[in-house]
Amino acid sequence: MRRNHWSGWLFAAPHLILFLVFVVGPLLFGLGLSFFRWDLLSTHPAGFVGTENYREALGDEYVYKALGATVKFVVLAVPTTLLLALLLAVGLNGVIEKRRGFWRSLIYLPHLLTVSVVGLLWRWFYNTEFGLFNAYLAPFGLKIPWLSDVAYAMPAIVLMTLWWTLGGPMLIFLAALQNVPAAYHEAASLDGASAPQTFFRITLPLLRPVLLFSMVMNIVGAFQVFGQVYMITRGGPELSTRTLVQYIYDTAFNNYRMGYASAISWLLFLVIAIFSAFQFRLMKERK
Amino acid sequence: MLKRRHFLGALGAASLGAGCSLRSQGPITIRFWNGFTGPDGRTMLRLVRRFNEANPDVSVLMQRMDWGTYWNKLFVAGLGGRAPEVFVLHTRTLLRFARAGFAAPLESVLGDFPTDDIDENVWAATKIDGKHYGLPLDVHAMGMYYNKKLFREAGLDPEKPPTNRDEFLNAIQKLKKPGKNGEPDQWGYVFTNAETCTYTFLNQFGGAPFNTDFSKCTLTNKRNIEALEFCRKLISDNLIPSPENFDSWIGFRQGRVGMVFEGIYMLADLEKQKDLEFGGAPVPQVSAEKAVWADSHNLCLKSGLEPRVQEAAWRFMRFLSDNSVEWAAGGQIPTRPSLRATPEFKKLTVPSAFATQIPFVKYQPQLPFIFEYLTEYNLAVEKILRGRASASDALGAAEKRINEIILRESVSPSAPNNGETK
Repeated sequence: MRRNHWSGWLFAAPHLILFLVFVVGPLLFGLGLSFFRWDLLSTHPAGFVGTENYREALGDEYVYKALGATVKFVVLAVPTTLLLALLLAVGLNGVIEKRRGFWRSLIYLPHLLTVSVVGLLWRWFYNTEFGLFNAYLAPFGLKIPWLSDVAYAMPAIVLMTLWWTLGGPMLIFLAALQNVPAAYHEAASLDGASAPQTFFRITLPLLRPVLLFSMVMNIVGAFQVFGQVYMITRGGPELSTRTLVQYIYDTAFNNYRMGYASAISWLLFLVIAIFSAFQFRLMKERK
Repeated sequence: MLKRRHFLGALGAASLGAGCSLRSQGPITIRFWNGFTGPDGRTMLRLVRRFNEANPDVSVLMQRMDWGTYWNKLFVAGLGGRAPEVFVLHTRTLLRFARAGFAAPLESVLGDFPTDDIDENVWAATKIDGKHYGLPLDVHAMGMYYNKKLFREAGLDPEKPPTNRDEFLNAIQKLKKPGKNGEPDQWGYVFTNAETCTYTFLNQFGGAPFNTDFSKCTLTNKRNIEALEFCRKLISDNLIPSPENFDSWIGFRQGRVGMVFEGIYMLADLEKQKDLEFGGAPVPQVSAEKAVWADSHNLCLKSGLEPRVQEAAWRFMRFLSDNSVEWAAGGQIPTRPSLRATPEFKKLTVPSAFATQIPFVKYQPQLPFIFEYLTEYNLAVEKILRGRASASDALGAAEKRINEIILRESVSPSAPNNGETK
C-alpha cells in the first residue's frame, strides 16, 4: 500500500516539479510582490506598502475600462464560438466520411497560424482606406471603419478570433458526436423520433459534459485575451480594446511597475477563479 | 538606494541560474544586441564581420530581435546582471536604462574620440545628469516622402515639393481626387503615425508638453492646442482622412497618397517597390518654428565591465561610429557631419534631404514614465483627430493624469506620510 503511494508521486513528479517551479512558484512570488511598491525606474527604493496597490487598482479608471473591454470580449466571443463550433461539428458529422477529413482540416487550418501572422493579416483586411474587406464592400457604398471606431473595434477582434480559433472546439465536439453510440439513434428512429427530437433529446444531453468543459476553458481563455488585441489594435481606439492582460503587460513591461502589475494580476485571477468555481459547481449539479 | 539594489539582486540571483563568467585566454567575447531586423541588420552584420577580421583578439557576437521583444529581453537581462556588453538604445529610452543602472556613462572611455564631430544637439540629447550614456550612431529624422507621379498628374512640380503651410495645403487640395463611387480615393496627405506626426506639428507651433525641468506637464499650453486644432481642421475640412492607427503607410505604397511624414527607416521599404516613383524632402514648415520629430540609435556600454573587456567593447563602438557612413547604406543618417560630407553619403538623395533637418530635430522628452506619458498623449490625440473631444478638453485630461503620475513618482513608498518628509 505504502509502496503504491510512492510510485504514484513518482509518476506525477515530472509534471509536478515543473508545475511547482514554473507555475506555483511565480504565482506566490507575484502575490508577495503585489504588496510591495517596486517601480524599477524609480529613484526611490522598493518598499512594503501593504494593500496600497490593491487600493490603487480599485480606484484606477483604467482598470475598470480594461475590465469592461475584457468582459465585452468574453460575452461576444464565448457564446458565438461554442454555438458556431457546435453547428460546424454537427454539420461535419453529417458529411460522408471520405470528404469529412478535408473540411475538418480546412476549418482547423487557421488555428495553426501564430497570432502574429493572423494579426498582421487581419490588420490589413480591416484597414478602412486600403483594406480587403472595404474593397469588397465598396461596390455597395459601404466603408466600415473596422478598427478606428470604438463601436466596431471589439466586434472586429471577435470576428477575427472566431475565424482563428473555431477549429479547436469544433474538433472536440466532432469527436464527442462520434462517440455517441449509433444504437441510441437507431432506437430513437425506430420509435419514430424526428431528427430535431433526436438531436435535442439524445445528442445534446450526451454532449453536455463536453460542452460545459469547453465553456469553462473558453471563458478562462477569453478572460486572458491578449495576443489578438495587442497585434491588431494595441488596445485602441481610445483604449477601448485594451484588455486586463494588456494593461497588466503595459504596467509591468512598459511602465516597469512590478508591484502594481502583480496586484492587478491577482484581481484578474480572482475574477477568473470565481467564474470557474461557479461553472464547475454547475457541472457537478447537472450530473 | 541600497535597499533597492538588494531587492534587484535577490531577483537577479534567483533568475541567474547558470550565469557563469568565462575568463579564459582566448579572444574577448563582446555580445552585441540590437533590434535591427530589417535591411539595416544585414548592413550591421557586415560591419561586425569586418571588425572581427581586423581585431583577432575580440570576437563580437551580434544578436538581433524585433524591438518589442528586444526591450523586454534587455531589461530582464539587465536585472539578472546578464546584459550584453554593448547594446543599442533609442535616445528616448536612455534615461530609463541609465536610471536602472544598466548603462555606463561614457566619459571614462571616450579618450580622444572627436565628440565635436557629433551633431551638437544629438550628442546633448544623450546627456543625463551631466553624463553621456550613449554614443549616437544615427539620427532617424522624420521627413516627407512624396509620390512624384501623383504630383505631375495634379499639375504640381515634382522637383519642388511644398516647404511651407500654403504650399502644403495647396498640394493636399490638388492631390485629393474622388474615387469611382463617390468616395475619395486618392489623398494628398494622411497621418501615418499620429504620435510622431503631431509631435512634429506641436513643435512647429512652438508648443512643448513639459516645462524645462519636467516637473510639470504643460499640454494645455496655448500653442499645443493650436497645433492640434490645426491637425483636426485638416480632417474636419475633409482634406485628409481620419487616422488609421498604423496602416496608412500601405496607402502610400499603393500610390494612393501624395505625401506622408515618416522616418528615414521606411526608405528601404519603398526602395523595394520598383513601380513607385517617390522623392524625399524636409517636412514643410507649417508654423513659426522649424522642427521635426526624430530619434537616434545609440551604442551603450554595460556598466561594471572589467577594464580589458570595456576597452574591447569601446573599440568596437568606436569602429561602428567611424564607419557609420556604411550604416547609411542600410537606410540611416550618420550623426557625424564629417561622414555626411563624403561623396558616398551625398549621392544618397533621400537621406541627404532628410539630413538637412538635423539642426532642428526634436526628441521626445526624457522621462522615466515615457510610456505612460505617450499613452495619455496618444489617447488625447486620437480623441482630437477623430473629433470626439476638443483639443483643450482632451489635452486637459491628459495633463491632469500626467501631473498625477509626476506626483506619484516623487513620493517614496517607504514614507507613507510623505507630506511630512519634505
